[in-house]
Amino acid sequence: MNLFKRAWWHLRVRIGRTLLLTGLFLVICTLSLSGFLIQSAAARAAEDAKRSVGAVVTMELDLNALLAKEGRDGGGGPGASLIGAGGDLHRDLADKIGSSPVVTGYNYVSEGAGAPTDSARFYRAVPPPPELNLDSIAEFFPVLGVRDSEQEAGFRNGSRTLLSGTGVKPGDTGNRALIEERFAQANGLAVGDVFTLSSGKWNPEATDVMVEYTVAGIYRDEKKSDSQRYTPPGSEPGNQIYSTIDGASRLQGKDPATGGGVVRRATFTLGDPDDLDRLKADALAAGADLTVFPLSVNDKQYRTLVGPIGETADFATVTVWLVSVAGLVIVGLIAASSLRERRGELGVLMSLGESKARILGQHVVEITACALLAIGIAAGAGPLLSKTVGDALLSNEVAGAAAQAAEDADAPDLSDIGGGKKDAPAVHPVDRLDIRLASGDLVKVGAAGLGIALLATVVPGIGVLRLRPREILTKGD
Amino acid sequence: MTTPVLRLTDLVRTFPGGNKRRTVLKGVTCDFEEGRVYSVVGPSGSGKTTLLALAGGLDAPTSGTVSFRGRDVAEIGLGAYRNKHVATVFQQLNLLGYLTAVQNITAAMEITGVRGVSRRKRAHELLDLLGIDDTDRRRRPARLSGGQQQRVAIARALACDVDVLFADEPTGSLDQDTAAEIIEVFRRLAHEEGKCVVIVTHSPQVAAASDEVLHLKRGKLTRR
Repeated sequence: MNLFKRAWWHLRVRIGRTLLLTGLFLVICTLSLSGFLIQSAAARAAEDAKRSVGAVVTMELDLNALLAKEGRDGGGGPGASLIGAGGDLHRDLADKIGSSPVVTGYNYVSEGAGAPTDSARFYRAVPPPPELNLDSIAEFFPVLGVRDSEQEAGFRNGSRTLLSGTGVKPGDTGNRALIEERFAQANGLAVGDVFTLSSGKWNPEATDVMVEYTVAGIYRDEKKSDSQRYTPPGSEPGNQIYSTIDGASRLQGKDPATGGGVVRRATFTLGDPDDLDRLKADALAAGADLTVFPLSVNDKQYRTLVGPIGETADFATVTVWLVSVAGLVIVGLIAASSLRERRGELGVLMSLGESKARILGQHVVEITACALLAIGIAAGAGPLLSKTVGDALLSNEVAGAAAQAAEDADAPDLSDIGGGKKDAPAVHPVDRLDIRLASGDLVKVGAAGLGIALLATVVPGIGVLRLRPREILTKGD
Repeated sequence: MTTPVLRLTDLVRTFPGGNKRRTVLKGVTCDFEEGRVYSVVGPSGSGKTTLLALAGGLDAPTSGTVSFRGRDVAEIGLGAYRNKHVATVFQQLNLLGYLTAVQNITAAMEITGVRGVSRRKRAHELLDLLGIDDTDRRRRPARLSGGQQQRVAIARALACDVDVLFADEPTGSLDQDTAAEIIEVFRRLAHEEGKCVVIVTHSPQVAAASDEVLHLKRGKLTRR
């Protein structure tokens, strides 16, 4: 068509203007494409993160809700057969919820404490100072009854590793225990050996019960003992004992067959954080009272993984918009100025009877040709730029997130009374951008570039449609 | 009597001017026939260019009609009228600055839909006729003199094979010899090819070479 030929001649003759427009579009398209690529990489990373870590949902007693509820309906309530009247969470309920198809793993814990016996003495890195009256303080072994020790945060994040034997596994019954190697060495214990804990003397009304445990496995905790000063045994990492739920219940003086199925809290790992609603529905169907035992999602791992890349993607989104709007304005101004400069040409074409649409079409073709050339070059330059800029931005965000995490780690988490949030093992944020140029990204940047070209030409070109050739070509005599 | 190719009937054209409208043409009526050269003369501000713009389809009258072969050009459409039936040569702003002389002509032929001839060949023939040499034909307008540009514009108008050719001060920027050559081209077009040529001019030389001189004064057209 004639307008294409004229456009080509104009582009060739006015090479400076052609290069200026192409360069401008190249900047717009490259920056926009980089933004789109970073957004795509962030979306992929978020999806991968969802699949890799999912989310941990914790179910535990909300004491205030329980008190409010008991005050309202006199201590009874739905689900009373599964949830103890005192606000106990029964493991049968957790097992039912754990069978939900959206749950990829679950655990529940029962916290207990054991007093030392001749066969189980405390591991002490530093002996208690002579002036300390040991009778005045309660020294104990922290005993954590678990359904599955592998689901515990320390074992999941690798800070605790099994050295020998096995961990506590789902379905284990009896009094099996997983002990730390420092405690094992202090007491000369090996896998298969038996040791005894006392239920303790700190509750004067309770009967002192002696519970025998069989060592199922020995693990190592990376956390070092304080070798400079005395640490109470309950805070000494070497004294942490994991046992079956049955074992922990017996230490609390409960019979596992009757009142021993009560756990402190249950955690459920979801394959996808978006499945929380489905889990709630399944929990309600299982008979849970979600008012008293709310399900709180801990997607900290997910947020840790994708937080910095999400921030980078947000920045990229803002960049795309800013560049697009600024580009539209600049190209629009250039196009408007060009139309003004070329009024004479428009008048000549109009006097020849060329349609206004075709005259405008020629300008659109010229700008579009520059945009297409720029898009082609941007397809090569965009991935390189997005990788370089994206990685630089991301490393800043990751560093910022690490500093924030260190700050958060130092500060006590007052909202984490039950310790459920610590069930999520530590993860490192995604610190590399997986930039992949897909046809969809090119379509998006193409649409943005061509959209800018079209708008920038058509909007000022509306003025052209109003012109009459006489206004341009004669002096108005 | 020959049928008029162009008829202006009671043309009025007013323009906004301050608080009241200014009437430039006050009921102009005139017929133009094929095979004749007309000059429109008159003092500055008499409405010559406005008359040419209305007759050439570059503007629409406030009232009255312009008819081409008996059809109101408003019916034909001003764009189609300019595209198929008439051509205008201006004193300035005649050519597309980014095209060579030859390309200006071939582009116009494409726009006006001239078919059945080799466009380049026809362009060269016309440029031969108007005395533009080979080197100048490959030049863009900025590198041509005013007279050369005017001749290329005329060649372009001829190339489009229209019935009526309008020219606004076509010799204004030309020396006397070139102006005489251009006038002769217009006369040949009218007398040998049967075109109707309407020239707006101040030049007595052009007026004298015309078949008919129309005098425009204070918006009224009279024949001499």
